[in-house]
Amino acid sequence: MPLTADQILDLPFDVQPDPDEFIRAAMEWHFNPETGCKFWLDRAATLGFDPRADVKTHEDLRLFPNVAAELRDVRGEDLIPRGYGNQPDVVGFFESGGTTGAPKRVVLMRDWLDRMVSWSNANLDRHGVPRAENWLGVIPTGPHVVGTLFRHHAVTHGRHGFTIDLDPRWVKRLVADGQFGQVDAYAQHLIDQAADVLRTQDIGLLTITPPLLERLARDEKLVALVNERVKCIRWGGTQMDADSRHLFKTEVFPEVALCGEYGSTMIIGVAGERAGISVDDPCVFDSFSPYVTFTVVAPKSLEPVSYGERGRVLVNHVSKSFLLPSNLERDVATRIPQVNGLVGDSVADISTVAVFEDEDVIEGVY
Amino acid sequence: MIDLPALGATGAYRSRNIQTVTDVAGTALAELSLVPPLYVNRTMAALRRSSIMPADERADAMIRAAKLFATATIDGLTVEEYQHAVSRVGGVPISSVVTATTTVAERVAKAHASVQYARPRGAVDNWRDPLTRTGRSVWTRRGNVFAVHAAGNHPGTHSIWPEALALGYRVAVRPSSRDPFTPHRLVAALRSAGFADDQVVLLPTDHAGADAILHGADLGMVYGGEEVTRKYCEAATVLPQGPGRSKILITADVDWRDHLDVIVSSVSGHGGTGCVNTTAIFVEGDPTPLAEAVAARLSAATPLPPEDDKAVLPVQPVAVAKAIERHLLKKAAGARLWLGGDGVVGELGDGSAALLPAVFQLDDPAAPQAGVELPFPCVWFAPWTPEAGTEPLKNTLVLNAMTHDTQLIDRLLGEPTISNLYLGSQHTHWMDPSVPHDGYLADFLMRNKGVIRN
Repeated sequence: MPLTADQILDLPFDVQPDPDEFIRAAMEWHFNPETGCKFWLDRAATLGFDPRADVKTHEDLRLFPNVAAELRDVRGEDLIPRGYGNQPDVVGFFESGGTTGAPKRVVLMRDWLDRMVSWSNANLDRHGVPRAENWLGVIPTGPHVVGTLFRHHAVTHGRHGFTIDLDPRWVKRLVADGQFGQVDAYAQHLIDQAADVLRTQDIGLLTITPPLLERLARDEKLVALVNERVKCIRWGGTQMDADSRHLFKTEVFPEVALCGEYGSTMIIGVAGERAGISVDDPCVFDSFSPYVTFTVVAPKSLEPVSYGERGRVLVNHVSKSFLLPSNLERDVATRIPQVNGLVGDSVADISTVAVFEDEDVIEGVY
Repeated sequence: MIDLPALGATGAYRSRNIQTVTDVAGTALAELSLVPPLYVNRTMAALRRSSIMPADERADAMIRAAKLFATATIDGLTVEEYQHAVSRVGGVPISSVVTATTTVAERVAKAHASVQYARPRGAVDNWRDPLTRTGRSVWTRRGNVFAVHAAGNHPGTHSIWPEALALGYRVAVRPSSRDPFTPHRLVAALRSAGFADDQVVLLPTDHAGADAILHGADLGMVYGGEEVTRKYCEAATVLPQGPGRSKILITADVDWRDHLDVIVSSVSGHGGTGCVNTTAIFVEGDPTPLAEAVAARLSAATPLPPEDDKAVLPVQPVAVAKAIERHLLKKAAGARLWLGGDGVVGELGDGSAALLPAVFQLDDPAAPQAGVELPFPCVWFAPWTPEAGTEPLKNTLVLNAMTHDTQLIDRLLGEPTISNLYLGSQHTHWMDPSVPHDGYLADFLMRNKGVIRN
């Protein structure tokens, strides 16, 4: 029996909808005046096309302009699809890091949180990460969605969650002001707090950013403690270069599973490291297709690059809870085929857009 | 393709993150392994753990390393191949690279001796010296691990940091991408001669890794421009090697005609790429005849590929040369143009260009252009008066004062921002192990520790 549009949007995380049917259902949901949110219903007037009539396939998402910048000023309530009724189960409103200007806002609905976390938990299972461990996260909480995702992960895949708060915006401010001594002191402050939890609690899984993991690794006693107790290090937030990943896996934490995640507030979730790849292979991230899909594109034309080539990461988020197609991220990645023929690309060797050396600064002889 | 792995505490390390080193024409010549901060941290920790070689063995090893550096085939490169690579990538005239090979080797071989010039006469080297029985200073290291962010403008700059090894420091060198060859060859030679892998390392790395090198060391030396000086001027543990802005002063009692060779050499010797090459010349009276004469002499230099034995000018990729030219001509607005006013880019046809000499004349000793230091023979002339005094001569690595005014010499010697004062006719790039360059490195690396035995 064919699924209704509503059913397609409410499938369990491990049931794959037909990607094009899914897109049509999502367009119906987000652009029907009965069910869509105010932001998109208003925005539809100036799109120049009718999403319900014209967006029939995953490919057609390209018709959408990148409206991410408009999420800087949007009223939070205007992002809640009306179809959730009078008492929508809103987990919260969250903000992007604010690296490129003022932060952008998204809404996190309960059904998406459950679906995203269940999918991500299954990926940890594929990495052989044991269930029912206590988790420690050295992560952004506050306005950033990752803290909320972490707590939900910790109590569904793990048992209990402990968190140390990391304020990335403050770090960026310090870096912009050239206050590197303060950056250093703040990083040590975070490690000191994490060390206390690691020493006193039974922590089986550590979630941390690569720069902080590198900092933790400077302390041989802490390295020994992590090797003794922690079964999995889940890293994300910034990228880990291939050489560091190799060193972590082979020399620093040889007995600990190392599992990367690539995510952002604008994805409202993460893409997970593909399980079963060797330490010598590039770290590939698979997205939660068809809800979150990547396309690796040439930065100017926005046309996909060939597999194996590098390009900017363009992200579509299409779920019942939220719609943000054609969002061009700052990241550069290698285009890799998705698993099992799912729509969208997988990505590897992520880095931020290269900053070229400034030709103007040329005085001096060194 | 020349393979340049990192030389870590456990041997050579080839990373996945490879920087292709291209020559001045854009042709790939070498592959340099860049290491991440994690690797740097682990290496610096290993240096800290490593044992120290006795001083006599260090001196012996450095003498042998110097010979290897100057003569041996190291990691597949003969001396000639090494020199060719330095010249092609850095654009330094080959004759200058050949000279520097000898200079570096001589300095390395004598480092154990040259460091002694910095030791205060009251200090002894060893607590076992009988002088400590009645109380004495023992000359001791301020730390154990020394980091160098090396320069890439000229291979001769690598003659200085080996003194740290002679003094017993464990040393980590971050090479410049413009000359990774010289420190690679030097570190490899030191290891072949007896230094252990965890005593001297080469860590090619990006900015984050560079910070980690300094962070992991007790003391560091950083070559760079104005921004480096600003960044580290207050850090007691980092010795910045900033702009040279070397100068010549010629007072009215000296006839410049007797010293034209020295003046021209100060500007253009070694390709004019050094911090010890003259950037500005102050003349009491009218600088015009001297500017004209120097311009005439420098105009004879012809653009040649850097590996040509007759090359005297530095070479850069055309894009870099043009960027330097744009910057120079913008700065030179309002100055009298003697040479280079219509451009300094001498294209060689293969994507590279020689930087042709430039001579400009300013009408005010306080003109800011006199501090514009560029990596080729480029000199600013300005008038000087006794009333202008020492002010325009401040912030100078080497000042050659051609004057008989002893009171003026006293004031110049007393000026704290002038590092070296050469009197009479002595080109500004003259160096000797007994004479400090910007102070002795050992001034920074060593301290006096009071010791008494009874």
